[in-house]
Amino acid sequence: MSSALPTYSTTSVSGGSINNAPPSSVSAVGATSLASGPLLVAEPALFGLLIEMGPALEAAMTGGAREAVFFKMEMLGYNVGQRLVERLAKDHARFTDTLDVVKFICKEFWMAVFRKQVDNLKTNHRGVYVLQDNNFRWFMNASGATTLQDATQAMTPFLWFPCGLIRGALAGLGYATVVMAESVGIPQCTFQIKIATGR
Amino acid sequence: MSYYFAIVGTRDSPIYEAAIGNPLKDDGKHLHQFVLHAALDFVDDIMWTTPNMYLRVVDKFNDWFVSAFVSAGNVRFMLLHDSKNEDGIRNFFTDVHELYIKSLMNPFYEVNDPIDNPAFDLKVRTIARRFL
Repeated sequence: MSSALPTYSTTSVSGGSINNAPPSSVSAVGATSLASGPLLVAEPALFGLLIEMGPALEAAMTGGAREAVFFKMEMLGYNVGQRLVERLAKDHARFTDTLDVVKFICKEFWMAVFRKQVDNLKTNHRGVYVLQDNNFRWFMNASGATTLQDATQAMTPFLWFPCGLIRGALAGLGYATVVMAESVGIPQCTFQIKIATGR
Repeated sequence: MSYYFAIVGTRDSPIYEAAIGNPLKDDGKHLHQFVLHAALDFVDDIMWTTPNMYLRVVDKFNDWFVSAFVSAGNVRFMLLHDSKNEDGIRNFFTDVHELYIKSLMNPFYEVNDPIDNPAFDLKVRTIARRFL
């Protein structure tokens, strides 16, 4: 069953094209103008959805190990990333090599999803890329823990969804990768991408 | 003024096909698929030479031309046509690409699934009527 009509898309209902910037459905706090232009989702609503995803999945997967929940979150991110990247790369020239692709992820993709660019990109030129974000937007409003250590510990499971997002984006562009994430202290976090170099 | 349009997925399987008018009527309709998929090899060669998505004419078959458009996710849009109408065809491909992205947004639609939705078909034919 495949329907061509969008169900989740927040592009404008009046048949407007996806060309209207901003292309993502995750931006702008409180902007809900009914005039032409893409419909936007309030950021707190997005945060609520993301934060609730962890406990909701845990409750739904009765008897499952924590790893199963992480796997599911990662797969959710994967699906979203695959679709999102096709939409975001629509007006971009086609990519020449893996460095180009990772730079696109660091700039346009990150800007669309997190409203900022990645702060630091490192590579060993052999297929491993490290993306560092010093102010990860989805950790912005995390609260409740007393120490930085506890807060980091609590937020780490929520890094699986962005991992899947990146993996899905790269898969959408044709690259099989492994993506891992870690955080030494919120709001900083680091993503490590391993692309198979085909050797 | 007839055309044959197909969308070929990342694994080279056809996702969607539409015959607008009746091209290649002398040789048989099955030839449309054959010609378009034979042209895929040329698309694979040419797509590395340019960063553009629109690849213009990639192959010729008797008096018919095959034009191609490759998306970022390596989904090929191919058109079999007999008249040279580069701008019209480019606009057609761009609009169908947007339509394809919209169907991708459906969470139940996986990449490389066939598209058999009549609304999609209708929209493609409308776009074809507008630009071709």
